[in-house]
Amino acid sequence: MRRFLTIFALMLTLAAAARAQEKPYFVTYDQTMEEKGNLEISSENTFGLQKQGLPTFYAPLGEFEYGWTGWWTSELYLEGASQHNDATVFTGYRIENRFKPLNGEHKINPILYFEYERISEASRINKEVVGHAELSNESLRDLHGEKAHELEGKLILSSNAKGWNISENFILEKNLTEDEGVEFGYALGVYRPLSLIASGTNCHFCRENFKAGMELYGGLGSTQQFGFEDTAHYLAPVLAWHAGENSTFKVSPGFGLTHNSSRMLIRFGYTYEIQGFGSKMKRMFGGK
Amino acid sequence: MRRFSCLPLLLALAATSVAAQPLSPQGTDPSWVAPEKDAARKNPLASKPELAAGGQKVFSRTCANCHGDEAHRATTKAPDLASDAVQAQSDGAIFWKITNGNTRKAMPSWGSIPEPQRWQLVLYLRSLRDTK
Repeated sequence: MRRFLTIFALMLTLAAAARAQEKPYFVTYDQTMEEKGNLEISSENTFGLQKQGLPTFYAPLGEFEYGWTGWWTSELYLEGASQHNDATVFTGYRIENRFKPLNGEHKINPILYFEYERISEASRINKEVVGHAELSNESLRDLHGEKAHELEGKLILSSNAKGWNISENFILEKNLTEDEGVEFGYALGVYRPLSLIASGTNCHFCRENFKAGMELYGGLGSTQQFGFEDTAHYLAPVLAWHAGENSTFKVSPGFGLTHNSSRMLIRFGYTYEIQGFGSKMKRMFGGK
Repeated sequence: MRRFSCLPLLLALAATSVAAQPLSPQGTDPSWVAPEKDAARKNPLASKPELAAGGQKVFSRTCANCHGDEAHRATTKAPDLASDAVQAQSDGAIFWKITNGNTRKAMPSWGSIPEPQRWQLVLYLRSLRDTK
């Protein structure tokens, strides 16, 4: 428990130092790419309340997102997990690349997403939900030894209309270390700022500083058994607050919709953006 | 398990090799022109100049990183927005450029900013003519 609280305090400390603005989604991706040369550091945290007396878990996720060009963004994720009366473990890392194939803004903006994951079975972050799901009471300590290499692809479709953002993600995931077939999943999201006009004053609680919406995400089985049977699905209201010029808090209580879902996934996050990180690094190493 | 052990290293090398290449140079893009129909659009907030203050706030949040806090000074990343070349463009053309961006020149598309706020940005950019 002391480890659990230590990690929680560390994440809160990191969060307090952070500043940036973000979309309110936790699982769904929209067409936003990181600006060229910027590094965004985020902390996202998930508390899982389970059913049938299974232990509560906490899963922190650190994100480092860099914009190489206007059409290419990369991201590194480091994740951990801690379970009540169990263990605290580092569960692995993910490397992701997103590509924007079309220049400009369109009615539907496609983004191509590719990810490599090296994570253990103890992973609890639920960064995406794919395939089948089962509620487990296995110890994180035991699951930590079961490592997996996975490849993941997403087709992200995103639209902006009349202040609303509507995004759809279609997910494929292949575990390279187990013969599970290809797993499928989806994530849908919609949000809107509470005001479409920006006020002229420097206010923290202006309506335009809040974005509210909803996410729906879940698994769709695999090539071995496609469909909704034994899958987990979540409906999650999302809220983001741009607390300052560049700082954003976000929170999302996700409700499990099926027998195989956790009861709730409570998420909260914070983001810090280092603007011009690429050029600062270049200067540091003697570039112009 | 061993056969995949070099995959992360290969990915890291690939990323590093691309990162080592020079990023695309900044500058004007003569092909980046708003279509006539979009260039002809009028700013629906033109009669409310007081909303330019909100546009300045949006600017400092989303644009100042490249265009500078003052906006009327060229930076190494982006042009002077109070320059004649920019101010000679119609409201509709500036709005179209904010909305669509130009990823070839690292100008992001800002379609995620609500439309009224993008028009507020245009109002603010127009106010730079007086401060030049």
